[in-house]
Amino acid sequence: MGIPRSPARRIAAIALLALAVASCASEKATGGAPAASAVGGDGVKTGPGVTADTITLGLMTDLTGPYASFGKSLTQAQQLYFEQINTAGGVCGRKLETIVRDHGYDVQKAVAAYTEIGPKSVALAHVVGSPMVNALKQRIEADQMLTIPMAWATGLLGSKPIQVTATTYDIDMINGVDFLVKEKGIKSGDKIGHLYFEGDYGESALNGSKYAAEKLGLTVVEQKIKATDQDMSAQVAAFKAEDVKAILVSVGPKQTASLVGVSLAKGMDVPFVGSNSAYSPQLLPTPAGPALLKDFYYMTGGAPISSDQPAMKKLAADYAAKYPGVEIDSGVSAGYSAAGIVVDALKKACESKDLTRAGVVAAHRSQSAWGEAFGTSMDFTTFDKPASLLSYVAKPDKAALGGSVIYREAAASDLAKEYQVPVG
Amino acid sequence: MITFLELLANGISVGTVYALIALGFVIIFKATEVLNFAHASLLLVGGFIIAKLHASVGFWLALLIGIAGAALVGALIEFLVIRRANVASHSVLAIATIGIDIVLTTELTREIGADVLALGDPWRDQVLHLGAVSIAQTRVAALVVATVLITAFLLAFKYTNWGIAMRATAEDSETAALMGVRRGRVSMGAWAIAGALAAVAALFLCVFPTPGLDRSTTFAAMKAFPAAILGGLDSTTGALVGGLIIGVTEALMSGYQNDMVFLGRGIGDVAPFLVMIVILLIRPAGLFGTRELARV
Amino acid sequence: MSRRTLLWSAVLLAAAVIAPFYLEGFWLQAGLFAMSAAVGAIGINLLTGATGQLSMGHAFFLAIGAYAYVYFASEPGQGGGHALAGLGLPTPVAAILAVVVAGVAGGVFSPIAGRLKGAYLGIATLALVFLGQHLLFNVEPVTGGFNGRAVPPMELFGLVFADSPALVVAQVPFGALERLWFLGLAVVVCAGLFARGVLRGRPGRAMNTIRDHEIAAGVMGVPVARYRAGVFVLSSMYGGLAGVLIALVFQRTVPEYFGLLLSLDYLAMIIIGGLGSVAGAVIGAVFISMLPQLLTRYSDALPLVAEPGSGGVSPAEAARILYGAAVVVIVLFLPGGLFGLAGRLRLPLGRRAAPVLATKTPSPDTRN
Repeated sequence: MGIPRSPARRIAAIALLALAVASCASEKATGGAPAASAVGGDGVKTGPGVTADTITLGLMTDLTGPYASFGKSLTQAQQLYFEQINTAGGVCGRKLETIVRDHGYDVQKAVAAYTEIGPKSVALAHVVGSPMVNALKQRIEADQMLTIPMAWATGLLGSKPIQVTATTYDIDMINGVDFLVKEKGIKSGDKIGHLYFEGDYGESALNGSKYAAEKLGLTVVEQKIKATDQDMSAQVAAFKAEDVKAILVSVGPKQTASLVGVSLAKGMDVPFVGSNSAYSPQLLPTPAGPALLKDFYYMTGGAPISSDQPAMKKLAADYAAKYPGVEIDSGVSAGYSAAGIVVDALKKACESKDLTRAGVVAAHRSQSAWGEAFGTSMDFTTFDKPASLLSYVAKPDKAALGGSVIYREAAASDLAKEYQVPVG
Repeated sequence: MITFLELLANGISVGTVYALIALGFVIIFKATEVLNFAHASLLLVGGFIIAKLHASVGFWLALLIGIAGAALVGALIEFLVIRRANVASHSVLAIATIGIDIVLTTELTREIGADVLALGDPWRDQVLHLGAVSIAQTRVAALVVATVLITAFLLAFKYTNWGIAMRATAEDSETAALMGVRRGRVSMGAWAIAGALAAVAALFLCVFPTPGLDRSTTFAAMKAFPAAILGGLDSTTGALVGGLIIGVTEALMSGYQNDMVFLGRGIGDVAPFLVMIVILLIRPAGLFGTRELARV
Repeated sequence: MSRRTLLWSAVLLAAAVIAPFYLEGFWLQAGLFAMSAAVGAIGINLLTGATGQLSMGHAFFLAIGAYAYVYFASEPGQGGGHALAGLGLPTPVAAILAVVVAGVAGGVFSPIAGRLKGAYLGIATLALVFLGQHLLFNVEPVTGGFNGRAVPPMELFGLVFADSPALVVAQVPFGALERLWFLGLAVVVCAGLFARGVLRGRPGRAMNTIRDHEIAAGVMGVPVARYRAGVFVLSSMYGGLAGVLIALVFQRTVPEYFGLLLSLDYLAMIIIGGLGSVAGAVIGAVFISMLPQLLTRYSDALPLVAEPGSGGVSPAEAARILYGAAVVVIVLFLPGGLFGLAGRLRLPLGRRAAPVLATKTPSPDTRN
């Protein structure tokens, strides 16, 4: 490599000297003793992210990427919740603090953000994007960091500290197919289309629809697209050729709008059932609006913010008071209830005097019926099954808060109850 | 059969929109030998202006302003960056356009936010029925506009002074300069025209089959790259043919996805690139591109 | 190597060796991202900077390296609801094989890489990125599909590059990041020295001639097509090595990461750092990897940049705009990149360093 002998030795000497110097005066020089847990003055065991008077929660969100508006709603709703808790005296005599990091839907940034805020946080109140949660899975498990992903792919199940809220996409689609059969006249022998995204969102949903179709004697016509596709004409032509009687939609809002609009324009007037990420109220003012209002429904495990639950009404009022003029979308209720899950886990952990991360996860996993106030009840005691099997059928509505109303109350189909979730 | 015809019609009409974008690449490449990666942001500029203005000034005026705006931005890029950069190879200028693209796209997507902006076009979601085949009116309009524009440019290259100056510059820019061709004017004109074409393409990319303009509109420009290359980067006919090939391939591969499961689902998006690679293997300068004769 | 550069390298190396004893995990990880980027950037600088071949497909070769390492090193198992294949080879062997596989992938592309140039090659390599992602999502037994796969930690001479078993060096607990830091450092130094050897020797001069005047190169007896294909393979191998390194840092591979933006980042790195030199690639890699991190970390202290979630220009957007603008400004005003700038600043002061640097900045009068 062309390095003369003596300078090489000199480099080695300097390096060794550096090593010797390094051992003194470093803040990191703890001798390797685990500083992980300590017992505070109030007899509560604490760990990373918890001091005598603060509890720090991490928020890993998307404020600049494709889910920017969703991420912003989530973040604001959670900050609202934590403020309300702090005004009411905090948790365990401690104030809640948040660290927000924007990963812009970029895996590398998410990994970097976790390394930065992970050591300072006791739990992650939300993480946007399943690729990001996937990339961090190993670390989250090693750190036993209670994490609420804001994504509902089946692949996120099966990890003790990771809590997917309510239903997963496959459960929603099973309930959706059930809805089509019971109320929309789809019968055994019919073909139904399923338009889905490449990736865990679309493919989780597809698992559900294929399972339900098989049980009910239907055939699924699959059309897979990428998030960059905009124009669904070719897909509609394919569905039309197969003469499908209904179409399931597990794509982004923009593709949903294109699909529904093109189908109706080409005279294919069938019911559409979407996953909860397939719809956004921003679509209603576009030319696709009327088509969406016609025969489109979407399945969701969390109640829409326009529902009659008193907790939702209060949230809508508080949110509008704190962030006047800001549009309310599904991120608001999703973020708020996720914050509720984390705070309740902290409160439980406080009762058992253990605010370490492991303590928080254990406390969280001891709850078997959480969240009646927000609509459906969730079971957190197992982690290889969805927390709930109940999906609402929601319908777009121009006048409603958040752009949608409940069309059918939350229900779990028999199929969903029999369904074995593929965990991995 | 009806499905096939419908897919074909769709493919052709999308293809003409790709051809409009590809034509922009080609014009810029001919005049300045730069591969313009900032084209996606020119699309966004044009679409954004139309979307913001159509409610107040009406669609047609908004369209005109959008075209003018995108042309202006194109000309500015040429004037402020391309003209001033003095670099070893054109690859470096191509990378510089990536930088421009990042700045413009970041700022515009910040402005657009999460909204889906409608462009207020007069065709709305009406569909034209030709026998059993139905095709969106927007697509018919795209086909007509693109054909007219592309023909106009083919003629302009052949017969106008500007076209001759440009071809001369592309052939040998120094000699052209010595013969009195103003290189600056030619290349700035090329960038402005590419911008205008991008705005027209943006219009057709954001109307009916898609709900409107949003941050992901830029991805469509990516599909025009293989169109421009497989036709031959310095050929206007190539841009047209390339656009059509890409559009039809994409439509057919998506439509018949279920018969080609062995290739993996979602092959429709990759197919244009596969076609491009196959063509480049056979003809390294694309179908209609000028072959470089220097062989040593 | 002049004594001056030697001294500088010694100081830098010493600083790099001490770093993990003081820096917190966040910075170590940022440093590791930069190291991986540096290896990849050196590779693409050989291709684009030194030989003048535009490549937009570097992310593809990173993906090949990362996934090949996982495939070779993992035991076969279950994951994401389907079987995952793996060979269970010793991890260092897997890493070397991964680099070789990336090279082979580059070689398979050589019928195109050898014949095409400039814009044509740029777009042709763009196809690799889209094709690559399609494969990553669809060849599930190898790639794990959208779920990605866990990356087995590297094991070298009995030392595991992971958090457990615990290791304490000079009172400082050495976790995965601290251990990987030294591995990364070694890889960067070796990769840099090798590339430097290539650039300074006969091949380097041949490559520069191809960039500056292809016909002249041919006339002088340089086998142009073979050289182009060869450099493409070498650059792919560097990409593969960077992929292995980034996989080890991530501890999990995810297909979304290896997209077009990653490729564009690499091009920006070499432009910003300086085309055609090893130091330029490293400087550019550090700049591009650190910029967003710095802005996010210190967003509260910076004017115009708002804290995440508070509205206004967010740090991520500011970083994007700055980075785009930096590319344009450097192309316009600093043809030699940041490294060239460093050289120019030193020129009046340092007498000895000057001649070496002068040959590195591509001469502006050779358009081809």
